[in-house]
Amino acid sequence: MRRDRGRKPKKKICSYCVDKIESVDYKQYEKLKRFVTERGKVLPRRISGNCARHQRQLTRAIKKARIMALLPFTSE
Amino acid sequence: MGYYEIMLIISPEVETDGHQEVLNDLKTAITKEGGVVSTVLDWRKRRLAYEISKHKEGYYYLVYFSGHGTVIPEVEHYFRVTDAVIRYMIVSVEEKEFNAAAEKAAEAAAAAAAQAEKQEQAELEKADEATVIEESEEPEEVEEPEEPEEVEEPEEPKEPEEVEEPVAAEEPAETVEVDAAQEAEKKDE
Ligand SMILES: [Zn+2]
Repeated sequence: MRRDRGRKPKKKICSYCVDKIESVDYKQYEKLKRFVTERGKVLPRRISGNCARHQRQLTRAIKKARIMALLPFTSE
Repeated sequence: MGYYEIMLIISPEVETDGHQEVLNDLKTAITKEGGVVSTVLDWRKRRLAYEISKHKEGYYYLVYFSGHGTVIPEVEHYFRVTDAVIRYMIVSVEEKEFNAAAEKAAEAAAAAAAQAEKQEQAELEKADEATVIEESEEPEEVEEPEEPEEVEEPEEPKEPEEVEEPVAAEEPAETVEVDAAQEAEKKDE
């Protein structure tokens, strides 16, 4: 049995890179939903596996989608 | 000169007939400052992720225009004076996305036309069948008139899918997020 000292050995990959998406579109909000928690928070990069560039775009896209009521704001 | 995308939500209280009026007024505001509307996409009625002015749903539209930045205050002014629009956002887009939206609209229009033609064809065929039945003299086997098959409506809203900005785009050109945007940003904290 292999042990990784509590670390998940699974390699994270940026799904936007995989899908060859140049820039994250706020109008594709169904897809954005995959990157927010149940409470509406943006998943951190270490969990989403996104690259820094796409994560940055994602954060902006989520903000826009929230403004247009396509996604909820964080619920406390 | 720049390319812009406006997303707006029309109040559910506005009848569908009133939508065109809103869009026309918006067009007027855009052209007043020399802007050119290239595409209007109907994003249809959607459930709002949270209530806006007590509304739980609204009619979404996307309007693409090209023009100088001076168009924006004109558009903002229009949105401020109308009650029909409950939320809007103006963002600048790359030419590629701008053109993709126009293509999408053209495709949607073509699909709608094809659908209408198909429906017409189906009705003609039905009419033919009906004639045949009437002509047949046999009194027996009176066929139940077939239920006119529902001609399927075209698929749900066409989401502007994957409208991508060009490669090597540094950060997406500055985003103009106005009024509603700022207001919402505060809540975001
Ligand atoms: Zn990436």
